[in-house]
Amino acid sequence: MAKKARSKATSGGSSTATARVKLNDRDKKTMGELHGLAGGVETAAEKKRDPYLDIPSRTLSNVKFNKAKRFIEMGNLTNRRQLFNLSQAKAYMQTMLVAKGSKEIITEGKTASLRQLFYMLKHTIKDTKEETFDDQTESDAMIEDLEVTINALREELHVFASNRGSIVGPITLIDSGDEIDCSRMGSGGYSIPSIVEPYVMQFKNNRAKFVLHVEKDTVWRRFNEDKFWQKYNCILMHGQGQPPRGVRRLLHRFNNELGLPVYCLLDNDPWGYYIYSVIKQGSINLAFESKRMAVPGAKYLGLRSIDFARCELSPSVQIRMNDSDVKRAKQIAAYPWFADKKPWQKEIEQMLKNGFKLEVEALMSKNISYVTETYVPQRLQEQDWLD
Amino acid sequence: MRRYNSHRSECKFETLGSIRLADSRSRRVSAARAKSPASNGHAANGAVVKRRAKLAKSASADAANDVEDVQESHDNPAAAHAEANGSAGKSRRRATAQSMAASQRDISVSEFFAKNRHLLGFDNPRKALLTTVKEAVDNALDACEEAGILPEVWVHIRQTGENRFQVGVQDNGPGILKQQIPNVFGKLLYGSKFHRLRMSRGQQGIGISAAGMYGLLTTGKPVKIMSKVSPKKPAHYYEIAINTKVNRPEILNGKGEGVDVPPGAAGQTAMEKHAIEWVESDHGTRVTIELEARYQRGRGSVDEYLAQTCIANPHVRLHYVDPEDNATEYERSTDELPPEAKEIMPHPYGIELGQLVTMLKDSKPMSLSQFLSSSFSRVSSSTAKRICETAKLSTRANVHRVGRHEAESLYKALQETRIPPPSTDCIVPIGEQRLLKGLHQVVPGDFYVAVTRPPAVYRGNPFVIEAALAYGGAPSAARVSLEQLTDFVQESDARTLRQFLATTFQGIGMEGANKIVKESGLGTRQTPSKLKPKEILKLHEALQSVNLEEGQTMNVQRFANRVPLQFQQGACAITQTVVGTSWRAYGLTQSRNSLPSGPVTIMVHMASVWVPFTSESKEAIAGYPEIQRELRLALQAIGRKLGLYMRRKLKVRDAGARRNTFLKYLNEIAEAVTVIKDYPDSRTKQLYDQLCAVAKVKTLHADLSVDKQGNFVEGEDEQDFGDNVLIIDREAGAAAAGAAPGATDGAENEAVGPASKRSKSKAKSSAKKRG
Repeated sequence: MAKKARSKATSGGSSTATARVKLNDRDKKTMGELHGLAGGVETAAEKKRDPYLDIPSRTLSNVKFNKAKRFIEMGNLTNRRQLFNLSQAKAYMQTMLVAKGSKEIITEGKTASLRQLFYMLKHTIKDTKEETFDDQTESDAMIEDLEVTINALREELHVFASNRGSIVGPITLIDSGDEIDCSRMGSGGYSIPSIVEPYVMQFKNNRAKFVLHVEKDTVWRRFNEDKFWQKYNCILMHGQGQPPRGVRRLLHRFNNELGLPVYCLLDNDPWGYYIYSVIKQGSINLAFESKRMAVPGAKYLGLRSIDFARCELSPSVQIRMNDSDVKRAKQIAAYPWFADKKPWQKEIEQMLKNGFKLEVEALMSKNISYVTETYVPQRLQEQDWLD
Repeated sequence: MRRYNSHRSECKFETLGSIRLADSRSRRVSAARAKSPASNGHAANGAVVKRRAKLAKSASADAANDVEDVQESHDNPAAAHAEANGSAGKSRRRATAQSMAASQRDISVSEFFAKNRHLLGFDNPRKALLTTVKEAVDNALDACEEAGILPEVWVHIRQTGENRFQVGVQDNGPGILKQQIPNVFGKLLYGSKFHRLRMSRGQQGIGISAAGMYGLLTTGKPVKIMSKVSPKKPAHYYEIAINTKVNRPEILNGKGEGVDVPPGAAGQTAMEKHAIEWVESDHGTRVTIELEARYQRGRGSVDEYLAQTCIANPHVRLHYVDPEDNATEYERSTDELPPEAKEIMPHPYGIELGQLVTMLKDSKPMSLSQFLSSSFSRVSSSTAKRICETAKLSTRANVHRVGRHEAESLYKALQETRIPPPSTDCIVPIGEQRLLKGLHQVVPGDFYVAVTRPPAVYRGNPFVIEAALAYGGAPSAARVSLEQLTDFVQESDARTLRQFLATTFQGIGMEGANKIVKESGLGTRQTPSKLKPKEILKLHEALQSVNLEEGQTMNVQRFANRVPLQFQQGACAITQTVVGTSWRAYGLTQSRNSLPSGPVTIMVHMASVWVPFTSESKEAIAGYPEIQRELRLALQAIGRKLGLYMRRKLKVRDAGARRNTFLKYLNEIAEAVTVIKDYPDSRTKQLYDQLCAVAKVKTLHADLSVDKQGNFVEGEDEQDFGDNVLIIDREAGAAAAGAAPGATDGAENEAVGPASKRSKSKAKSSAKKRG
């Protein structure tokens, strides 16, 4: 089976630039959208009109919290990007370039990283000294614009981000046809790819009962080393801070397809709250993907503002909150999805009252394995978490 | 030596030819008196005169002067001893009045200038040549205009020795009477222009005689003058040397009588016999001076002077043969002689007490009121009455009875009474149209503007300031032909290439010179005169290709009474005012205390009955506040129009930039569409063209957007620049004159106008005529 899968993968890889690969239905749909985009320019040119793109706005003002679905949804606001507008002309050109690059990798049946695409499309504009893209942040933004404009996901454009985040646990994954036994991943774990769509990754032989998502790599290693996932029969994941799309999508799939509850262990600071918020409700920037990524049932295990007192930590582990932390905390408290949750209001209030932040590592001041042996098991036992 | 240039100094010359001390130098007099109480006033005067002659210049010289006195007294120990006894040991007497009186005597003005030739513009051989040509040409033009003759001037310069040149200048003027010739050319401070208030080029009557004197001093050759009053009457030929001791001409030929050249064929033989050079003409004067000089082209050269003269005098036809036998013809661009300038009486505001006293003394016997209204400009009998009332003097008082004290109150009354400004028909400005024409013919550019200010008055002297400006066009360095460049290079005595470039061409500056040298790939320290033809070619190419616009500084051409001023730029009120004007407001870049930069040529003309020069060599205009004010107003007037033009240009460029922004992206977009749709490559071009068409429409639309005032920006194209603006649209290759129909005919498509065609052919014909 592995052999078969590999041959399938290489057939795509061996194709040359000239030889067209057969497009699957999803690719055909994306190509259709891209054609529509190009066709718009042609029509405008023929009719001597100003070509434009209506790009759904990715701002806080254009997101709504859907209380029924419990995640953030994108509104209907769009920004018009015109070619014949001095401040938008370059962005328009860049969007078209990204569309062109995406079309090329789709027809070749390959995928390119954000950075690869950036290099593919970066060149000096003819007869000028101007570069099409000055740095990668420009092309990244254009890719997101293109996603929302033609309503195609990044993976549908055959673009991926670099791997971030690891997974370990009693489950077998099939990634591009290769079987990955996540219970035999050593100390490093399996690195979560950017694209974890069902056509790339399938689940097999899941024995886990829940998912524990931690914020950082180092904390994850603590849990892995202490074989926490073996003891409690769970999948252990981290997203290296703000989890990338691959990690969030995987969490969503575990939760959705396998029915595994998701628990998050994050730092007790505004940033940690926000990570939880993104996992649970989706992010503002990628609101259009919320329905595929949000895990509305995700629970916040810790760390809590009360933990300093509850766990009797030494004052030396406190990290002073600065002004921007305070501001951010108040901002988060005001998010509609936190606003009517009393425990959360209390939690944030407590943190502001404390005036300090706590990292998960703070627990290690008590005992190196306090977090894996005492803290998390206790919370799970007592079902003491925030929702 | 301001006394010579000041218009009010007439009264100080009681005797022409020698300077007697006027009592105004009282400080020095009293100093002399303090030292030698025994000496009488007259002797002291003489001493002061002598000292002034020795150290003519500054007050700081006083100290040195006193030291000199000490030296003198040591030469006479007996006298010093006697004085020491007499003065009770207070301070030792060094010279007695008697011993000092022995060496006190008159100084001839020619002697004075022979020693101080730099005051007249003969500081170095190169400048001497220019000054000589200049004085002769100025006199020629003045004579022609005064006689109402359209001037035609021949300037022939010939090299006679290593450092010797012969300058011959001939005009078609009225000629000079036989008995006057020696005085005009052989006596300093002799002339017709000093004693009147009327606009003319020459003022003091020093110039041409000084040039002759310089020639005599350096080469020993006399001044040769040929003058013809009428075709039927005999012409006169003189060879004159100036006797510097007594400031008197000495006629050398014809046994002190000169030679008469009869009209007709007999004259030809006479001319050949005496080797007289003469271009056949019915009347006119030719002056030939041989002098030690050096000929060099470029800035501050004879060539530049003549070219600039033709800008300011479009009615002059000029034939010029340079020392290398190249003939240049400057054709006149108008047959209209400028209207004759009227002579005016002095204006009361412009005189001084001493002058008033002299006038009162010299006047014919008449009543005071008569005197006032007849000797002054703009004083009517009623004004005279008012003046007399203010001065508490009777209107019927005899002028000769007016005493010193009364004169003073009369002077005060003159200054206090409101008197209208002097009449201005004594000044003839060049005129805005002619300025535009003149500038356009000589300076290539895209935009021309000229302004003539209404007449104003400084110290009772009416004057008019005119300014013209040319913007754009290639700098002179880029227009030079390979042939010219080769000449320049060979003539140059500059030690390095960089120096050569900076001194030869206007407005390059060291920065520009560096750029050119770098571009040409030649060594900076290379000696220009040793360049090989191939290297000159390289340099020429570099001159064409380097963009000098950035480092270029404004080129300021100064004129006073139609005479170009070429030296002492920094000391001149014109330059100072140009520097002091804020050009940034008008779209030029300018650093503090310096000329603005950019491809700009500015021409400023001051016309006045008396131009206040800072020295006798007439190189810089003194900065009277009234003059500076008028200069500033004129510059601001042309500046505003330049600003309009610059802003419009900027706007056009902005619209262009906008269009370019779109255009450069269109190709990328067209290509992207072609790739996405799998079209053949040809579709890219097609789509690009389509998009370009849209872009044009769109940017046209953008051009039409409204500005802050709510006006259509496009409408500014029709904006009225007012009169006397000339805009050259290079793309259209035609000139459009802004509400100035007269300017259109002068606006040729070519940058160089027809009046200054430079024929490089050897001028054999004129060489023949020179005999």
